[in-house]
Amino acid sequence: MWGKNKNVEETESADKKFQKELVSGVAALVLLTILDKAAEPMYGYQIAKVIDGQTEDTAMLKQGALYPVLRSLESSRLLQSRVEPSVSGPPRRYYQITELGRSTLARWKDMWNQMRTFVDTVTEGEGNGQ
Amino acid sequence: MVNSVDEYLALLRKELAGSDAAVIQDALADAEEHLRLALAQAISGRPDISEVEAIPPIVEKYGSPQEVSTAYREMEARAPAGFGRSARVGHQSIVSRFFGVIADPRAWAALLYLLLSLGTGIAYFTWAVTGLSLSLGLLVLIVGLPLAILFLLSIRGIAFIEGRLVEALLGVRMPRRRMFFDDTTGFWKKIKSLFTQRITWTALAYCVLQLGLGIAYFTVFAVLIGLSVYLIAMPITVGVLDMPAYIILGDTEYLATDWSVPIFFLLGVLLLPATMHLAKLVGKGHGALAKFMLVSKQD
Repeated sequence: MWGKNKNVEETESADKKFQKELVSGVAALVLLTILDKAAEPMYGYQIAKVIDGQTEDTAMLKQGALYPVLRSLESSRLLQSRVEPSVSGPPRRYYQITELGRSTLARWKDMWNQMRTFVDTVTEGEGNGQ
Repeated sequence: MVNSVDEYLALLRKELAGSDAAVIQDALADAEEHLRLALAQAISGRPDISEVEAIPPIVEKYGSPQEVSTAYREMEARAPAGFGRSARVGHQSIVSRFFGVIADPRAWAALLYLLLSLGTGIAYFTWAVTGLSLSLGLLVLIVGLPLAILFLLSIRGIAFIEGRLVEALLGVRMPRRRMFFDDTTGFWKKIKSLFTQRITWTALAYCVLQLGLGIAYFTVFAVLIGLSVYLIAMPITVGVLDMPAYIILGDTEYLATDWSVPIFFLLGVLLLPATMHLAKLVGKGHGALAKFMLVSKQD
């Protein structure tokens, strides 16, 4: 009984770790894409809402993990931001994609497509080796 | 279970304990912005719902304090502050490390900060002393209090701007977002926290202190840089332009002889990198001071 619980726990933590590693690379791509499509600057909560509206499975990407990614994209000059006071509540930080961000996004999309094809080929073609 | 935004922020602060103070301030600002907005939306959608009922699904989506603090920690480990890491780290000889400082952008940035600090020091000091005496003097009248409040708010603004300058030039991680006051508390509570928070008073002290430090930094580094340049230029001034070179020791003036010129030139060549190393070191010290006095640890 005890041993079984431990196994379940280990599986869960392994899943969490894998998920975190996957998300840490993809989150930047997702955020850049959303801000690239956006007509005007968006703040964090708005971006989270957009993601929320597009997919049911929000457990993959915690909203709280978006903010540090936004911040790091800004420090690498792929995004720019400004703070505006809001009528109710704390001031909001509006993010906007830069030219550098646009050109980077184009390259990242290519890389993502290559990676997806590669992973699909490997994981789905497992019978080929035998 | 988390029942309010404040409780969540307290838990997040606990999770982030030990991280950089500036990271904590940023993470808390992000969380507060998001959670308060989400809560306002949830309540406006269903007026019958209470904060205690509305919070759990919001926190579930935002991520637990543990998850969020991990995200910030990892991001901070990947992205260095300010000018970033030096381009080449590793096995370099002492000689190339000593002279390599000339090509180190961080050393020049630190030097720039130290020379600028005379100007910022004068500005901060004037503002702080004028504002302080004006608000204290008028405190007996009714206008004194609003004046004092505005003045202290302006000091917080200065602390933020100085923080940006320190991060850009000295490479010390400082807050990237302004602190704001909890919107759920009343007006008087906000005013009270302005007076009771440690950072308000340390930032004020920093403004006063910066003048003395700025004068010292400027004097020392202007003299050292000037002297290095003078010594390095001696072969040209003495040898080519035939200008006389004096050395004054006590009451006696010595005229530099032709054979001593190369020695002075060498001295200058050594003094310039030494000055740059000193600038880096002093910049580091000042960065630590700014971090201690301009970043709120607990409010």
